[in-house]
Amino acid sequence: MIHRRGALGTAAVVFVAAVVGLAVCAVVWFALRADGKWSDEALWRILGSGRTWRLVVVTFAQAGASTLVTLIPGLPVAWVLGRFRFPGRRFVRVVALIPFVLPSVVLATAVAALLGSSGPLDLRGTWWAVLAAHVAFNLAVVVFVVGDAFGRLSPTVEETARSLGAHPAGAVVRATLPAVAPAVVGAAAVVFLFCLSSFGVLVVLGGGRVTTLEVEVYYRATRQFDLSGAAVLSIVQLISVVVALGIVGRLNRRRGGTGGRLHRRRPVGVGEHAAVVTAVIVVGVVAGLPLAALVDRSFLVGRDRTWANWTNLGSVLDGTGLAVSPAAALGRSLLVASIAAVAATAIAIPAAALAARRPGRLADRVLTLPLAVSATTLGLGLLLVVGRPPLDLRGTWWLIPLVQALVALPLVVRVVAPAVRAVPSSALESAALLGAGSRSRWWRVEVPAIRGAVAAGFGLAFVACIGEFGATVFLARADRATVPVAIGALASRPGPAGLGQAMALSCMLVLLCGVALAAVDRFGESAPAREAD
Amino acid sequence: MMNRRTSTGAVARVAVVIGLLASGAAACNGATEPSAGPSEPREVVLVTYDSFALPEAAADAFEEQTGLTLRVVAGGDSGSVLASALLRPGSPDGDVIFGIDDASATRVLGEDLLVPFVPAAVSDGSVPAELRLPGDLADLLTPVDTGDVCVIADSEWFAARGIALPQTVGDLAEPAYRDLLVVQSPVTSSPGLAFLIGTVASEGDSWPAYWERLRDNGVRVRPSWDDAYNNDYTVSGGDRPLVVSYASSPPAEVVFSEGARTEPASVVLVDTCVRQVEYAGVLRGAPNPEGAERLVEFMVSPEWQAQLPLANFVFPAVTGTQLPPVFEQFAARPATPLVIPGDRVGAERDEWVERWRTILE
Repeated sequence: MIHRRGALGTAAVVFVAAVVGLAVCAVVWFALRADGKWSDEALWRILGSGRTWRLVVVTFAQAGASTLVTLIPGLPVAWVLGRFRFPGRRFVRVVALIPFVLPSVVLATAVAALLGSSGPLDLRGTWWAVLAAHVAFNLAVVVFVVGDAFGRLSPTVEETARSLGAHPAGAVVRATLPAVAPAVVGAAAVVFLFCLSSFGVLVVLGGGRVTTLEVEVYYRATRQFDLSGAAVLSIVQLISVVVALGIVGRLNRRRGGTGGRLHRRRPVGVGEHAAVVTAVIVVGVVAGLPLAALVDRSFLVGRDRTWANWTNLGSVLDGTGLAVSPAAALGRSLLVASIAAVAATAIAIPAAALAARRPGRLADRVLTLPLAVSATTLGLGLLLVVGRPPLDLRGTWWLIPLVQALVALPLVVRVVAPAVRAVPSSALESAALLGAGSRSRWWRVEVPAIRGAVAAGFGLAFVACIGEFGATVFLARADRATVPVAIGALASRPGPAGLGQAMALSCMLVLLCGVALAAVDRFGESAPAREAD
Repeated sequence: MMNRRTSTGAVARVAVVIGLLASGAAACNGATEPSAGPSEPREVVLVTYDSFALPEAAADAFEEQTGLTLRVVAGGDSGSVLASALLRPGSPDGDVIFGIDDASATRVLGEDLLVPFVPAAVSDGSVPAELRLPGDLADLLTPVDTGDVCVIADSEWFAARGIALPQTVGDLAEPAYRDLLVVQSPVTSSPGLAFLIGTVASEGDSWPAYWERLRDNGVRVRPSWDDAYNNDYTVSGGDRPLVVSYASSPPAEVVFSEGARTEPASVVLVDTCVRQVEYAGVLRGAPNPEGAERLVEFMVSPEWQAQLPLANFVFPAVTGTQLPPVFEQFAARPATPLVIPGDRVGAERDEWVERWRTILE
């Protein structure tokens, strides 16, 4: 049984490597051999253009700027939520987390509700709107990673520094900051990488005017029909991400341990109470306000309060560019995401077992490939090999679920692998001594131990799949649009008709993701709790 | 305790299996549904750009005569519609594609996107021969209408400020017209591409320098005609009194005002015009190829042609089609449009667009 499961794990890893490899090879092939013969024409056309290098600079610059701007509200909020206990602290953390788990196009539509044509300030088509969305999305990363480090920081360090005569500010600079610096660097690195491959946010908020490499790949392929050019840009993007990953890897190697006890206390004095109130307000504005605006604007057509955006979801409106109604897209999304999440979980369990045995080794690395290779590279690559004649699989029911499963897989593996690793080998050995066969050891010892993690992984996979945009948008046929594809089409249009439907549809997705995550939370937490009794 | 664990595990496992089966079954249903549908398609699907308006009465007549339902799928601006069709030749989103213009027609060569079809009105010469494309394209694409892409100006805006109207393409880069012009991107928009070609015709080899001057003079670029005309143009409530649009925009303003205007608000700058022909073609792999041919045939019939001017504000391709009076009165038909031979456009278009992007984006 162990052997067979090992083989299953290997098969899963090989499968992931094969699909990602296929996509990347297709991109390289098309960059060099678009018309059936070797040619470096596309290479020179793209690499010889000043515009390409400007795009590379802009892509890195916006990621850097987004990271810095996220740290500004992120660090103080992390400090407050990490150091202090106060009523509603859990709730504030959940609110900060919401934008992070929402599909990127939904979050972007929410930001558009606030900073779009119907909002108080119209910033669509500018970097400001994109930055705002990136901050909302990534706030959770800083708050959770750095907040944890602040929480584990022993207060005595700072007190000792102060008692040794350091100025309070000096104590923070000399004692606190060095201690949390590794966590800050780690969080910043993750934010930077996310923003480097940000796609849905830019499609909805960029208005075709502010673009990055990732968006340019999409526009070039789907609007200019320059497949070889798009392929070259995709390679440039891939190299950029690999370079960034390399730098981030070096930075993170220097990271210290994050263990230690939590030192959280009630706030004392006016200053600390004010800090708590400020942090709550900041989280409310950054994470809560766009969602509130989204709900509000979904009931607005022009200046009129109306249910029209909601009641229209069943119909295809003129000028929205959709071939199916938003309601039909919702039905399809539910179906596709369910299949994809089941597939991702099914592949992840044996794969996680393999990755858990040897963390950081080849299998583990391969399983994170779908995250490292951006979604558009995956989408473009697969479009080039299996989305066009002679082999067009876009009409099959399984292509898009398969791609979404692949994108969700690294998440599920990350959730399941630690649980697999945590199954005590002593328990397995005692079971073996007591005469349990490998099948019954797996069924009676391992499965109950990882059940909660698997449920959580499944829920996360579902949320990731139902929101998947970057790869799906390349592969979905117009008559089989998923919700994010429909929102992307509706919200990137100038007219008000589409935007209203996009808002209503986004609200539906927020609700769905919320329900899915709440269910996971219950199931995921109750399983180990049951074990304890 | 062991028992309870086992039973919960079993429940979870059963749930997963049920989920698998249910979704698998549902998916199979989804997959078989289209093929199990009617063996004789009762629907014909027209793939076109957003701002296309169906000539309703003609469409009704078509449905009545053929017994087919006509459905329109609009997928963005004309450039995007063609690009997404080219991405998937052989498994199209519809039966007929309409809105491919003469400037981008060569894109379909070698891509196996269309099947040849020549309606009777084209072969019998009702459609002037000069509108047909050269070579293989002649049988793939049927000319349906023509129009002139021109810069138009909000005449009241200029009159109120006592600023003289620009006359030529060159004038637009003058400081007097700083921050007044909005154009469309040639990447995505058919009039945008036509205007770019017009500037190449008008400025010759120095067209990149001209666009640099336009850029420095504050030209605004929008992805589609819809965007530029309906959001930015002063006549529609925007802040730019000069926009790349059509020579037929003035009558359109009178008709769409529904009596509020007796005179158009815009004036056409006739020396900035570029002639454009719009074509229709039968998509390879169309679910309803027969219906597709009947629709293309119908698009060059007297009924459809006569209604085109007031539906889409274009000139019919079929000679002798009666024009509506408002069209005769207000639509400008520039005598000497800016022209670049089709084969040169086909050969150099992508280079021009690439160069344009380097300058403007």
